[in-house]
Amino acid sequence: MRPILLSGHERALTQIKFNPDGDLLFSTAKDQQICAWFSHNGERLGTYKGHQGAIWTVDVDPTSTMIASGSADNTIRLWEIKTGKCLKTWEFPTAVKRVEFTPDGRRLLGVTEKRMGHLGSIVVLPIELSVDAEQSDERDMTIVCDQSKATVAGWSYLSKYIIAGHEDGSVSQYDGKTGELIDNVPIHELDMAVTDLQWSADRTYFITASKDKTARLMAARDLELLKTYVSDTPLNSACITPKKDYVILGGGQAAMDVTTTAARQGKFEARFYHMIFEDEIGRVRGHFGPLNTVAAAPNGKSYASGGEDGYVRVHHFDKGYFDFKYEVERERENRL
Amino acid sequence: MASTKNRDWADDDEGDDVAIELPPPQTIQNKDGTKTTISYRLNDQGQKVKTTRRIRLVTHREVVNPRVAERKHWAKFGLSEKDGAGPQMDTTSVAENIIFRLSTNWKKDTKDEAKDPDANAMKDKLKDKTVKCRICNGEHFTARCPYKDTMAPVGAEGAAGDVAAGMGDDEQPGVGAAGAGKKGSYVPPAMRGGPGGSAAAGERMGGKYGERDDLATLRVTNVSEMAEEGELRDMFERFGRVTRVFLAKDRDTGLAKGFAFISFADRGDAVKAAAKMDGYGFKHLILRVEFAKKAA
Repeated sequence: MRPILLSGHERALTQIKFNPDGDLLFSTAKDQQICAWFSHNGERLGTYKGHQGAIWTVDVDPTSTMIASGSADNTIRLWEIKTGKCLKTWEFPTAVKRVEFTPDGRRLLGVTEKRMGHLGSIVVLPIELSVDAEQSDERDMTIVCDQSKATVAGWSYLSKYIIAGHEDGSVSQYDGKTGELIDNVPIHELDMAVTDLQWSADRTYFITASKDKTARLMAARDLELLKTYVSDTPLNSACITPKKDYVILGGGQAAMDVTTTAARQGKFEARFYHMIFEDEIGRVRGHFGPLNTVAAAPNGKSYASGGEDGYVRVHHFDKGYFDFKYEVERERENRL
Repeated sequence: MASTKNRDWADDDEGDDVAIELPPPQTIQNKDGTKTTISYRLNDQGQKVKTTRRIRLVTHREVVNPRVAERKHWAKFGLSEKDGAGPQMDTTSVAENIIFRLSTNWKKDTKDEAKDPDANAMKDKLKDKTVKCRICNGEHFTARCPYKDTMAPVGAEGAAGDVAAGMGDDEQPGVGAAGAGKKGSYVPPAMRGGPGGSAAAGERMGGKYGERDDLATLRVTNVSEMAEEGELRDMFERFGRVTRVFLAKDRDTGLAKGFAFISFADRGDAVKAAAKMDGYGFKHLILRVEFAKKAA
């Protein structure tokens, strides 16, 4: 497996997103550019310029016409993918840490930071799915997180729920239409922030990564804990691979402690776990810093990881990856 | 190319105009379906560099969504606006190959791997080994040996013995002497029996005095800079026959360095001299006299 190394950023990566077709890859970093890449060969399509601060997050709409990005300059911006043009800017009192489109692309949620007397909140913006349309300044709704601020959030299947991960390690479920808090479950260790939340292909279950060194698979409907993946390092990101039942976890020694640890000890590796058996089945080395974000391509043929070292590594899986099976899986196939 | 005919081959280096002419790039179709391209370019030093590339073209056909196909033809923008088609060198590169094998007992595998190559091999190698002194075979490092200064290493003694044996037998060639014990092994120059019969001393410094009897040699330190070998000889002759006086002198200034060696013919005389002369005032300095230690 020969990874493709993308060196378009000068600072630590913050998020990587594939578009639904899996041919484009968007990366954001603490420098002020969003990069768009072709995932099959690592060619850079372009950059989106306009943000005045670190960019924390990016998301692609389901039709791959627009992307939204959230930044430390307190704005969410909407961009046209094809041309790199900024279509709309929404201003907020604090930084935006996470954005996500609904599965139909008609709404966008943004998670704002708690700072300077402002409580953390989840805002929902209406989106017109056309490049030429005028985007509204109005918000659909605002969910204020008065308990513990939300760090990540996403839409469940059919935009029915908004699932949010909190700084105190809990996960909450809000109604997707009214914004009403339905449930809150302390799922990770207390005060260990949830660092990432990514969906399965059908958005019925999701995986959360946390600083408490575990990742957990949960059902969106009732926040039932399905699986737990235990690692030996604080996790920054986790994703579910389509096609094969694996999860990829990324993390490593916190960025501030990196200089005092050797690369080997720093555990800067992407870890592969079997989604069902919860076993660690492999690791991929390569980054010189903790992995801040991992993303699996929707076609399941590749994954990308972004590290504190400023590089994105795109890995196209070998045949061995697809052939790997547990003994029980083989036996079952033989019986059928 | 007529000019090259007239020119001597030695002038070729100066004729820059010839060197600049680069042959046109060639492409050769190979039988096995690969192509060989040969191109030439000039490097920073103006030298001609020939680059030969063998290329195998594999057409990988993939059916994609028309949307995806369309996106491949999009114009680049932003920082990539001026980039040509295909991945650019400055933003995209291919990293080293990673062996990525999924396995259920992944953890165990890597643990064994981590242990095996270096740590374990070294451990096995050293398992039966204990520290052994080369001088006295004791269980300590050679450098810590209490006999470090007084005894030769165990092996060396044996070699010296061989040499002694060789000396007795005049017919034996000197070089073979030390080698007699371990045939074919390297014998350091100091251990080789010299052809002139200077024997074990070999090419050691002061070898011309023959096998020096270290047992009857005194080391005199704190000697005045002004001292002369003659003066020292006079002082020590009182105790017995002095075979050798060596006063270390600075090569440039010719002044004494402050130490000397006095060899006596008889050890008894040396003992007497050491007792009497230690602490003796000589040219404003108090001499220190002791038995010389064998050179380590």
